Amino acid sequence: MLKADIKLDAKGLACPMPIVKTKKAMADLVDGEILEVQATDKGSKADLAAWARNIGHQYIGTIEENEILYHYIRKCSNDINVEKIFEYTISNEEITERPGVILDVREEVEYAFGHIEGAISIPFGELDARLKELDMDNEIYVICRTGKRSNMAAQKLANAGFDKVYNVLPGMTAWTGELTKNI
Amino acid sequence: MSNKVAIIASNGSLFDAYKVFNIATAAAASEKEVTIFFTFEGLNLIHKQAMQALSMPEGKEFMAEGFAKANVPTIPQLVEMAQELGVKFIGCQMTMDVMGLKIVDFVEGIEVGGAVTFLEFAKDASPTLTF
Repeated sequence: MLKADIKLDAKGLACPMPIVKTKKAMADLVDGEILEVQATDKGSKADLAAWARNIGHQYIGTIEENEILYHYIRKCSNDINVEKIFEYTISNEEITERPGVILDVREEVEYAFGHIEGAISIPFGELDARLKELDMDNEIYVICRTGKRSNMAAQKLANAGFDKVYNVLPGMTAWTGELTKNI
Repeated sequence: MSNKVAIIASNGSLFDAYKVFNIATAAAASEKEVTIFFTFEGLNLIHKQAMQALSMPEGKEFMAEGFAKANVPTIPQLVEMAQELGVKFIGCQMTMDVMGLKIVDFVEGIEVGGAVTFLEFAKDASPTLTF
């Protein structure tokens, strides 16, 4: 199973219960955390995707195993806090032609549902603890979904002494190339 | 975009109750402001006794088994959930008078009003649904 911060058991429940339970469970998550909703209602796939889109949360995807649907949703709030902008940026297109490594700082689940082939996965929250997995000699292209988490991650890396770091814009949301999946 | 969903419940069978409360709870869970106006037979859906045993439409009694198997919540459960999610219930005063019903005959927390009370809420609602 994929990593989630909170798991919600909505198995055996009919519409509209999976949605009602999901709404309630979301209140216990903080921004950026992942909710896994386990359901057997076949309609819940389309419903949860539409629900998340309406509210502004990120519907990541669904996997089906033994007739149980596992839905993954990442909580997003509407506050647009523009912090300090990391000055070195690079476009989605450019990174495919450069020799450095792509660092994907989205959550493990988001990475599993589609990433750029060869990208290293270190979720933003684990970056501090896993800096030594990165090679300072390489150019590092930091990517997330929309450029917000990667902006913070790039600053973190720069502060830790990495001097060939770039924030990739606009990020995976506009990625048109091939996607590799781990599901 | 309007954040309001307005529903008119004017029929009183079990099917009508599911249509009304499923849409209402789903909308409320999607952070919509929901008001239901109960009128004529629709008042059954929030009547303390009537809501416990709403009838199936004639000839559809065989579906009772399907309801049990699909594990759908009961109507009193859906009513409670709807209220918990902030769905507002308005009972139609005129129908209540005609039927000799009082506010105490209904679940707690309803408001009583006339058509204009509902229209005031529904004037900028999208969608407005009638069951």
